[in-house]
Amino acid sequence: MSSSLIAISALVRRDVLITRSYRLSFALEAAYGVLGLVLYYFISRTFDEVSSSTLGNAPSYFAYAAVGLVVGTVIVATTTSVGIRVREEQTTGTLEALATTPVGPIELSVGLVGFPFVFASFQATFYLAVASIFLGLDVSNASWPGLAAVLLVSGLALAPIGVLAGAAVLVFKRGQMIAGTLVYLMTIIGGMLFPVSVLPDWLQPLAELVPLTYAFDGARDALFAGSGWEADAAVLAIWALILWPISLFVFDRAGGYARRAGSLSEF
Amino acid sequence: MWPITNQAAVRQTRAPVGADEATLLIDGLGRSFGQRVVLRHLDVALEEGERLAVCGPNGSGKTTVLRCITGTITPTNGRIAVFGHKAGSREARRVIGVSLSQERSFYLRLSGRENLLFAAGVRGIPRPHAVQRVAAIEEELELSTILAQRVDRCSTGMVQQLAFARALIGDPAVLLLDEPTRSLDTQAYDRVWAAIDARPHVTLVIATHREDDVLRCHRRLDLDVLEPDRD
Repeated sequence: MSSSLIAISALVRRDVLITRSYRLSFALEAAYGVLGLVLYYFISRTFDEVSSSTLGNAPSYFAYAAVGLVVGTVIVATTTSVGIRVREEQTTGTLEALATTPVGPIELSVGLVGFPFVFASFQATFYLAVASIFLGLDVSNASWPGLAAVLLVSGLALAPIGVLAGAAVLVFKRGQMIAGTLVYLMTIIGGMLFPVSVLPDWLQPLAELVPLTYAFDGARDALFAGSGWEADAAVLAIWALILWPISLFVFDRAGGYARRAGSLSEF
Repeated sequence: MWPITNQAAVRQTRAPVGADEATLLIDGLGRSFGQRVVLRHLDVALEEGERLAVCGPNGSGKTTVLRCITGTITPTNGRIAVFGHKAGSREARRVIGVSLSQERSFYLRLSGRENLLFAAGVRGIPRPHAVQRVAAIEEELELSTILAQRVDRCSTGMVQQLAFARALIGDPAVLLLDEPTRSLDTQAYDRVWAAIDARPHVTLVIATHREDDVLRCHRRLDLDVLEPDRD
């Protein structure tokens, strides 16, 4: 195994151990996600029938929202984890110790996002299982490999936003709020909980420029139609190819700024 | 303007080495934070196995010197090279072992052992080798109790020993220690210096207030707090 992979696996293992040390949080997070599903299940029952074509092939509003919540779990984890983690390292004082090791920006970024992505993917699977077994979510037409592929490329395409948030934290200390706000905005525009078609006309074209749109659309296509997700996955892959080099460059420059300012050990 | 009022002074028990043969070269190092000058034109060259004690009152820049060598702070002026590599470069970081801000540099929810294995992992040391290395250091420094505990349950002295162990984990050629013996009992103090003595090839820079630390070094660098010019 190369030294880069060893470093990445050390970062992931560390996050597993730290997360495992807070045992109750597993159960609480799972319960929180299931409560979200239950909430939208009952909201959905207050609606009259909505056309499936309006809902991106989803058979009901609950199905539409459930996919939004499931994919949103993965998206939020990958886009916010690096910023949150870097901020934690700043405040606990481990960031400077980490900066004295030979670990580079690529290993650090991938290592920091690795566990949150895998953990969120397991959470998403659990939520889907709960929704289909207990809340009547119809997944009979699902392409599971397609859904896995969409979630994977969604993580790859959106993790750079987290890396950029990490860069913002290095420079502004509380920069993770920037990523949080940006992602929240993108979930509104990208169709997480309601179709893009209900947005004002002038706002709808913006959805085409938001990678989250393709993550939600691709997941719904894979889950409810079993096909048609490939084009969304391809767009997400292009986003990944564009965003990763930019985010790594910015992260590296932010580290250089912190070294010049002498602020790596500040919080 | 904030000129210095006291120059740093280096006293030595070894002949100075030239820049070409230096393991660690500090050439005209200056560092300011805003308008406050902490270091100004510091020159040091250390050869393999040489030990430098950095002394001075609080705020004189001892830790800043160490941070500049690790690369976590970029010098305002001058340059630092470790085996010819720029300080802070990946090549330089590979050969340096560091113990800074010991109390605030560990994952408190993890045990001492898990912290050391993590430190080995981010240095690219394969897991089986890392386990062996941690075991060897555990035996050498008598750390079994400390490694078995979560760090947030360790005393200050225990965390300092753990920080020293972490600095050794990558088998460094250059060791940078910031007051590593401050809170140690006599036995732990002796073990730390025995471990340093067992590594005669390692170049050491130690910031310290203890004269017994200084006596174990070949050279001494005295820093003073730089006062602003009131004229």
